[in-house]
Amino acid sequence: MSNSILENVDAAGDNTADDTVTNTAADSPASTTVMSMQQALNRALDEVLAENPKAVIFGEDCGRLGGVFRITDGLQAKHGPQRVFDTPLAESGILGMSVGLAMAGFHPIPEVQFDGFAYPAINQIVCQIARMNYRSRGTMPMPITLRVPSFGGIRAPEHHGESLEALFAHVPGLKVVSPSNPHEAYHLLKYAATRPDPVIFMEPKSRYWQKGEVDVSRHDAAGSPTGAKVMREGRHLTLVAWGAMVSRCLQVAELAAEDGIDIEVLDLRWLKPIDAEALAASVRKTRRAVVVHEAPLTSGLGAEVAQLITQSCFDTLKAPVERVTGFDVPYPSGDLEDEYIPNIDRILFGIQRVLEYKRG
Amino acid sequence: MAEISFPLPDLGEGLIEATVLEWLVSPGEQVERNQPLVEVETTKSAVELPSPQAGKVVRIYGGPGDKINVGEPLIVFEVPDNTAGIVGTVPKEEAPKRRVRLSAVLDED
Repeated sequence: MSNSILENVDAAGDNTADDTVTNTAADSPASTTVMSMQQALNRALDEVLAENPKAVIFGEDCGRLGGVFRITDGLQAKHGPQRVFDTPLAESGILGMSVGLAMAGFHPIPEVQFDGFAYPAINQIVCQIARMNYRSRGTMPMPITLRVPSFGGIRAPEHHGESLEALFAHVPGLKVVSPSNPHEAYHLLKYAATRPDPVIFMEPKSRYWQKGEVDVSRHDAAGSPTGAKVMREGRHLTLVAWGAMVSRCLQVAELAAEDGIDIEVLDLRWLKPIDAEALAASVRKTRRAVVVHEAPLTSGLGAEVAQLITQSCFDTLKAPVERVTGFDVPYPSGDLEDEYIPNIDRILFGIQRVLEYKRG
Repeated sequence: MAEISFPLPDLGEGLIEATVLEWLVSPGEQVERNQPLVEVETTKSAVELPSPQAGKVVRIYGGPGDKINVGEPLIVFEVPDNTAGIVGTVPKEEAPKRRVRLSAVLDED
């Protein structure tokens, strides 16, 4: 359905990557392992380093310590300090160095330790990484996979719980993706790290420790790590979410079922480009949609999702698309976090507003 | 469980070593963040080093009078694998709680 969506915008037109990642052997027996998202990401990076001699991983504490979230744990010892190394505490330098490495033929996989520290590197990301391929008429692609531990939920101080997807998605030349569980994390990171274009990989840090089944032999029945993915089928309403909000929406769907409301949960996965076909297919069936995100409401990605749904499903929608989001305030630290992040009741209220809507 | 090594930091400007005066903790002991670990003497002064983190002490390096170079291991802690990073806490998985009930008359046309 949406396998072509990313290929269409791949600047460098590399079409060899799919074969290495996606499931071409649908008949092969499943080899499922239970692991945390941390372990899934660590395994994906380990394999990327083994498969691509040009891949290099670096960032603050990525080397000797193995990352503050243990995502790069053991990789320096295994692959050497030339390929997995620590950088100074300077995000503009980390991303500026990525530009030079990409120019020299490497595939940099830098880490910005926390979302809030991507701001000091915005100049390098927006003015260099996103544009170099365009500026050089395709002679200088930027195959950079920028890992950003993102979103809230771990009671961290300021600058450690931001949701920057709308900011990155607004920049032409960047792709943005966020996994929702360990299986998605493994496959989406392996896929992102083979792209010829820059990908912002937003890891939902509140989900790092949750365990789930990972089938490393294949991604899913459709075998594609591109586009959106239906995580739960339903008839009455579509919940659209990404990252950490997907698991919360799945909980909400179970609770709504107690009330006789059958909810479909669509994990958007790719936030740029957005899988408009999948949104249309789901909402044409359910005729109602609520989009949920942690980022503030105003100019958040929910507005883009709502417009795409309205564009394709205007005639069949039973109600305007509802948004349940964070508030238009700086991300609060500590205990106020629970008041900010959309909780189960706020999502249920949003669903009720859509269900109650009367044309008037 | 994971082991985390804490190397001797530069305790002044451009100092290259320090001499252990007295260890204030011993292997097997559980320490808290900021708890004094060791008293060391540099060419500038004698100082107490606070613990950079909580954890169980696995190993300590050097006895009274021994010199340790800046950047070499000073102490090794054991911490649970699932601790958060330098900031934040691991979120608890709780059974979903609700107060809001849905009510709707759905026309199935």
